Amino acid sequence: MNNLTSLQRKLVYTGGIVLLLIPIVWLGAPPEPVSANPTGAAPSTGSSGGLLAQKRVEFNLGESDLGNVDPASSTMNLLLLGFRGIATSMLWMDAQKQQRDKDWAGLRSTTESIILLQPHFLKVWHFQGWNLAYNVSAEWDGVADRYYWVKEGIKFFQKGRDRNARYAELYWYVGDTTGKKIGRSDEAKQFRRFFRSDPDEARFKGGPDPAVNPRSVDNYVEAGEQFQRANDTIEAYKNEQHIMAPYLFRSYPVRAMFDYGTALQREGNFGEVCQNVWAEAFIAWTTKFGMMEFVVDVPGLENMVIHMEVTAEELKAMMADENARNIPQSERKSNWVDRYQNTCNYRYWRTRSRIESEKEMADAHREMYEAEQALDRADTTTARKLYLEGMTKYEKKLNEYEELKNEDETVEEGLLAVFGWQRAIELDEEEVPDEFPLKEMWDAHASRRSTVKQEFERRRRAPR
Amino acid sequence: MLTFDPESFNLIEGVQNWAVVMLILAVVAFITAVVVSLAALGFAGPWQVLTHIVGGFQDLFGTSLRRSLALAQLTFREALRRKTLLVFVVFAVLFLFAGWFLADVTADADLQVKNYVSFVLRTISWLILPVALLLSCWGLPEDIKARSLHTVVTKPVRRHEIVLGRILGFSAIGVLVLGVMSLVGYFWIVRQLPDSPDQSPDMKRLTARVPVYGTISFLDAAGKPAEAGVNTGDENMFRSFVEGNTKARAIWEFSNIEPSQLKGGGQLVLESTFQAFRTFKGNIERQLLVQYTLVNADKKLRVPLKAFEVREFRRNVYDVAKENPKLQDDSGKPVEIADLLSGGKFQVETACLSSAQFLGMARPDLFIRMPDRSFAASYFKSIANIGLMAFMVVVLGVVSGSFLKGPVATILTFFIVAVGRLAHSFLEALVTGKVDYHNPTVQFQGAGPFGAMYRIVAHLTPGVPFEEGFFFRVIDVLDGLALNVLWAIQHVFPNFTSFDTTEYTANAFDVPWAEAMLPNLAMTFGYCLPWILVGYFSLRLRELESK
Repeated sequence: MNNLTSLQRKLVYTGGIVLLLIPIVWLGAPPEPVSANPTGAAPSTGSSGGLLAQKRVEFNLGESDLGNVDPASSTMNLLLLGFRGIATSMLWMDAQKQQRDKDWAGLRSTTESIILLQPHFLKVWHFQGWNLAYNVSAEWDGVADRYYWVKEGIKFFQKGRDRNARYAELYWYVGDTTGKKIGRSDEAKQFRRFFRSDPDEARFKGGPDPAVNPRSVDNYVEAGEQFQRANDTIEAYKNEQHIMAPYLFRSYPVRAMFDYGTALQREGNFGEVCQNVWAEAFIAWTTKFGMMEFVVDVPGLENMVIHMEVTAEELKAMMADENARNIPQSERKSNWVDRYQNTCNYRYWRTRSRIESEKEMADAHREMYEAEQALDRADTTTARKLYLEGMTKYEKKLNEYEELKNEDETVEEGLLAVFGWQRAIELDEEEVPDEFPLKEMWDAHASRRSTVKQEFERRRRAPR
Repeated sequence: MLTFDPESFNLIEGVQNWAVVMLILAVVAFITAVVVSLAALGFAGPWQVLTHIVGGFQDLFGTSLRRSLALAQLTFREALRRKTLLVFVVFAVLFLFAGWFLADVTADADLQVKNYVSFVLRTISWLILPVALLLSCWGLPEDIKARSLHTVVTKPVRRHEIVLGRILGFSAIGVLVLGVMSLVGYFWIVRQLPDSPDQSPDMKRLTARVPVYGTISFLDAAGKPAEAGVNTGDENMFRSFVEGNTKARAIWEFSNIEPSQLKGGGQLVLESTFQAFRTFKGNIERQLLVQYTLVNADKKLRVPLKAFEVREFRRNVYDVAKENPKLQDDSGKPVEIADLLSGGKFQVETACLSSAQFLGMARPDLFIRMPDRSFAASYFKSIANIGLMAFMVVVLGVVSGSFLKGPVATILTFFIVAVGRLAHSFLEALVTGKVDYHNPTVQFQGAGPFGAMYRIVAHLTPGVPFEEGFFFRVIDVLDGLALNVLWAIQHVFPNFTSFDTTEYTANAFDVPWAEAMLPNLAMTFGYCLPWILVGYFSLRLRELESK
């Protein structure tokens, strides 16, 4: 073969290895971070690393650019060599079986294993987070248990968010679950209470679970914060989200404020706190969201930039101008402003937040709310008095803001009050007068009366 | 809560079946041997067969324990030299990093126990298997290859003692590895999951509950006996449902309960895990109400107990005496628990009291809780089952090594273990036609291959029965034959999944003797005995010079 001895061959191999190592080290050296020197001498300057490390930074290819790196996840992916796909499929099947067999502990740990293998796959986070917060929580009968699983869903989304800091979607899912699932589910009353004071008293001593509510605030305030971070992420990385149209997505921080105000009213809080929430929401809606610029998402109109905050008069003027210049309908700015405003119900929310921040409107709500409670106590005298006062103020405010008059929620509240007032009179065995406040609404929406009546009767069976 | 129904093993019936199968196998093997020898050696062949069989029996009766143990010792030392104990390094690494995978998965105390206990048991079982498999499959073939076996066979030892010695030696290594791992695992669990000092003894996390299960029967909403409760549309049909505020009942019947066996010598504790199903939301802050009625049918005693709210998916512990300081029958006469239990059938009638709501129940969902055993008892029983499984793998490996070369023996053993562990339920589904354990109503018609082929061509779904006629009778007969062959194949592969008793230990149950330990012991001996015989005859007949 050759004349080299065993020792000589080994030396040649070692030499070869060392030679090959030089370019690898030179190209692949990791960057060294800048660090303060504890001895007080000049801080070390750090280095940008080898060519590969520099390119990785330049093109954002490092895993740490995506978010926190989980060492367990990287280890698993390395250990599995090329079998990651098979392992993942088996885990997904396991998860489905565990859910069907109601093995919740197994399901929870299988979801953790799945995300170890697919840490940057957005849909996996979305599916499993939703599954925990909505499907698994609904399987449990105890409200505290359900809340526990909603929290598990939120925490799962948070983990996904931290590991994928560039996906605005995951911030939004955290916000959406914190807001909508806690604030609008069948158990909203209990969940909103639990969000401020966790049912697991042994662990949280009557306070909130800091993992989901670190600042001890209302769930909608926390949701708004997350929506805002979603918007900030889009701004910072210029990554577009793929959940909904950009101008709807961007409205969510303010929408959380609207939800907060609505929730406070539903719970009977009409005081200054509630009015301030609406006032702040109005300002944010008209000055922040309303002034955001959006490019019209239609081929050929890429240069058209619009914002939502355009008053009816301004819109009219814009239309007249475009009319005069004979611009085709599909290319008119006024047309797109109108469309976008309609899509996100911009004008309604502008008026609504403004009117709700006024004391007289808050009083109208409060009086009608308290009247309903008096009716449930069979205190007809108080109920009739409060209903009349509330309905009068309500009608007066709606006459000031015509565009709210025919909105679903406004009409429902008005008709419910009329039904309540009529019921109180019937209980007193008196004739219902022909003339009353809100008569105009009562007549105009005759077709809606039967559905609202059903809601009225449902509330009598299960008072708020 | 258990997701399966533990069935008691009938030892006598099992032994009878086993004896019949063994007899048939022996006859088939004898006939085959005679025929093959006739073809190979002419009329001298059958005589040779008889000589070997007689010789075999002489060998077996002359087994020397001393020689076998000496060989076992040799095997043990050899395995140590082969650095078997490096498996501990893998084990240590897994446990060092287990925290990464398990910590903060969930904060719920009950769920944590399940995760930690099943992690430890699974890790041990997955680590011990390759060790047992590789050691045992390569032992004999390597000796034959290196001709070191010659130094043994020239000594006055019988061939089966070599097989036995190998099995015992490798088993000893297995016991050592398993012992160390299980002790480390045990202390790791106990350290990771301390019970808070104010925990009630009935709700301790690390414990081994000893349940006594009854038989279950149902009454429908009109109070008439029914086969099962209502199906509320859950995909998992393990539980069936009892309608609230009707005469519907689930009745558990217990036999042979002695008051002295109970907790504290007469404390009747009922534990349940029922599933709630609501047809309307109702008051969500209150859970569904359930009421037990204790019945002694022979003595005509009925004692309704105080109702309680069901905490779904959690352990509902009901201490009869604590909840009902004065037990009275329905006419108001005072009753003692001992009166109810002794003499006659003791039943627990369960009713849902919430109107138009349903409670789901299966047989293992309600049991009488006997005095608890320690967590260690349940844990080490699970370990013992893993040990039995490893022992079977060792026997299988040594036996296949006695007639195959190392790599082939490894593949054969691995295949049998993999099928027995991963595909046994699939084989069973093929033979029985029962596709899903949790849905007993899904049963394929004509599950045999010939019927299936016809169905594909004729576009018939599996639920549709065949028509009458000669053609279909032929198909049925052929399918019957095919299914019997499949049945035989299925039973060649031991059901290795039954050695996994993690679900008991992780759910804080004791591993029961009649339902888990006994069938596993029986299976181990049932399979190992014929395997060892095969190994002995293979080595006896083998020409050791042919490597």
